[in-house]
Amino acid sequence: MDPETFISKYEPRKMVAISLAVLAVALSILGFTYIKTGSPVNLGVEFTGGTIVTVPVVESEGEIAAKLAGYPVLDIRDVGHRYMIQMGPMDDAEYKQLSTMIDAEYQDPEIKYMGPVYSTRLQEQAKTWIPLSFVFMAVVVFLIFRTPFVALTVILAAFSDIMITAAAMNITGVKLSLGTVAALLMLIGYSVDSNILLNNRVLKRKGRTEDKVLGAFRTGIAMTSTTFSAIFALFLVSAFSYLVSSSFTQINILFDISVVLIFGLLAGLMNTWVMNSNALRWYLARPKKSGARRQKR
Amino acid sequence: MTEITKDPRVLIYFAAVFAALVILAPMPGDGGLHSRLKYGLDLEGGSWLQLKLQGAIIQPQVDPINILDKQFSDALGRPVEVEWRPESTDYQITVDGKASKTLVEDLGYPQAIVTPRGNATKISIEASPIGVIMNYLETSLESDVKYLGSDPLSFEVRSNVTRESLEAILAQVGGTLAPGDAGFSEGVTEETVDETKQVLDRKLNRLGLQDIKVRVVDNKFILIDLAGVNVADAQEIVGKPGVFEIRIQTKGNESMHVLYGDEIVDVSLPQGDQSGNWGVPFTLSEEGALAFQKAAIDTGATRNRMDHEVSMHLDNELIFSAPLAPDLAASLDVAPLRSMVAQVGGDSQRAHELYIHLREGALPVNVEIIGSGQVTAALGNQFKKQVLIAGIMAILAVGLVIYFRYREPKIVVPMVATSFSEVLMILALAAALKWQLDLPAIAGIIAVIGTGVDHLVIITDELLYEGKMPSGKIYLARLSSAFGIIMAAAATTIAAMLPLFAMGFGAFKSFALVTIFGVLIGVFIARPAYGRIIGRIMQPGE
Repeated sequence: MDPETFISKYEPRKMVAISLAVLAVALSILGFTYIKTGSPVNLGVEFTGGTIVTVPVVESEGEIAAKLAGYPVLDIRDVGHRYMIQMGPMDDAEYKQLSTMIDAEYQDPEIKYMGPVYSTRLQEQAKTWIPLSFVFMAVVVFLIFRTPFVALTVILAAFSDIMITAAAMNITGVKLSLGTVAALLMLIGYSVDSNILLNNRVLKRKGRTEDKVLGAFRTGIAMTSTTFSAIFALFLVSAFSYLVSSSFTQINILFDISVVLIFGLLAGLMNTWVMNSNALRWYLARPKKSGARRQKR
Repeated sequence: MTEITKDPRVLIYFAAVFAALVILAPMPGDGGLHSRLKYGLDLEGGSWLQLKLQGAIIQPQVDPINILDKQFSDALGRPVEVEWRPESTDYQITVDGKASKTLVEDLGYPQAIVTPRGNATKISIEASPIGVIMNYLETSLESDVKYLGSDPLSFEVRSNVTRESLEAILAQVGGTLAPGDAGFSEGVTEETVDETKQVLDRKLNRLGLQDIKVRVVDNKFILIDLAGVNVADAQEIVGKPGVFEIRIQTKGNESMHVLYGDEIVDVSLPQGDQSGNWGVPFTLSEEGALAFQKAAIDTGATRNRMDHEVSMHLDNELIFSAPLAPDLAASLDVAPLRSMVAQVGGDSQRAHELYIHLREGALPVNVEIIGSGQVTAALGNQFKKQVLIAGIMAILAVGLVIYFRYREPKIVVPMVATSFSEVLMILALAAALKWQLDLPAIAGIIAVIGTGVDHLVIITDELLYEGKMPSGKIYLARLSSAFGIIMAAAATTIAAMLPLFAMGFGAFKSFALVTIFGVLIGVFIARPAYGRIIGRIMQPGE
């Protein structure tokens, strides 16, 4: 399908409805997770508290599991020449014993411990700050656009990006960590980028709406594909570089960030070019009565 | 259009790139060339600890007379009468029968005067009401308590205590806590945090560790970064304040108490002798020296030194044990000795640790380790290599996509060069401001490459809207329209990033800093110049 048909052929309301349906599915996935676990997304160790250890692979998973019997091991995974072992909460003495043992037994271990005080605090911070970040963004968007309809579509797109990405994280098992929180906030920036471009082009230029949307679409696709390629490079290196050299391993934090941004950029494409471009077409094509602008919010 | 070489935007841009190159240029230093970039622990190797200072600031509401009444009637097993005498600022306690001075001392009033009067005993305690309350809190909580102020009366409790346990203790003497947060709030005063930080600083500096960062967050948390130390050792060093004790072995596994850390008046730096044996010299107080001599003689250590080792304990954990040296044993038989050396053998690191333990009996408050971790230097190095590869691949991938979009080297080259120069400027800024580049910061840089190229695409497409570069007024109008878009986008990105400063004890501060400053450098330095340069390069007919 060429971009021109994609942009102008379909009934705007239908396209907006499809996007909103996807958002509804995402929200129900998050709701389901919330009912099941008490949190809309799966929380990583940073938020739940616990210990993560990574050590070079020098033995089988069974052997390392046997060595760590007696510790609250939750998961052992091969992350490319290294095992990543997740453990539940333990007391100070136990942790000290563990870290001393790991240091003695393995070369170049990586150890991370998040106590209950740390994780509880992080949860509280996330609950305050992530919504606040969204509010900051919304205020800036309103200041820029002033037209409530336009500002609301931009904000809705950013909201939908984050929700769809969070739902995708739940499906694929990516957990919420500090890294993924940063990536989700970063999405706000990316999402607003292309929406501002779209609105600017369509509202401030003269000409047929469909042509302007098409122009914006070409630029927007170029933008998203460059960002996507940069993030994809990050993803490849963090996830697969261990296949190239035996000294490399996965870098969890970069892996998490890149995966989330990839989901988010894809969701952004839909929310900008399926939902918002059509919302704008509909908004500009609607029958103009006096004061209609005020009523249609 | 003004001549490109005189355009201030272009001049500023080139000056900034030049400055960035100068800042980033590797400098000769110890063992080869060094760049000014500082790396975080996750790339450099080391460990970190996140400590919570345990304590609370409280406002008790209690009558000191009730406290003394309860303390003395409980201890003596019969009712007492307590009277506050403001003119002599003391409390007078009257009790039937006799009362020993030791009993009064055990209650925490060594300065009390005990006078028998016929069938009764009068005890006068020279203490202020505040002193009595403080003493009660200290003995019943088994914790240090610091007086803060009298209006309203407030104290700092320096251990882990809950509102409920405090209220229970006060209820025994008919008291309570002031209502709300004023009555009980978790945390300690700023002075105490500072004091703790200083003790930690000194403790770590004395170990000769380099690049230690001790930071305070929210007056309650202390974060410590230790380069080149594993986490078990870091915890050993930091998280082990406590009671220092010297004991002498009596028989088999048994030993007797000799003295506590407060009898050690001076500790000198560890010294190594010619044969590589390390020792920590220390000096005892006079009382300490007498107690040591007495214990050495009583246990028989002066005569049979090998069977009666002297041991040092920290929080009941054995940290050092050795027999008396022959000459020391001989002289202790005759007279007390104040200066001694704890010999640890060939391990200088152990001597250093012992030195710290001898020096610092305890931190001012108890600390709880709430988070910690380590990355070894070798692993950090691997990560560094991997992120370098990621960065290079990201720029190449971006270049490739741009080429497919425009198929015009005159656009692709300036765009990739601008994007790359933005990275250089961020790195230079990080080096100049001594930010630590850690993995989140690297992710931030790659995110900035992403938005940066987005914005360059917006500028290019806006200018080339009709397929060719306009000139004059139209060019300027298009450029300002493009900047309208990218400024708006930059403002929203920055607004969305702000919360990251506050989260996770600043774990993502570097990501937020890099992203925000990267965006600022982009919109104010690099992209304006790009707009000019691309306008000039793509000018038709030249």
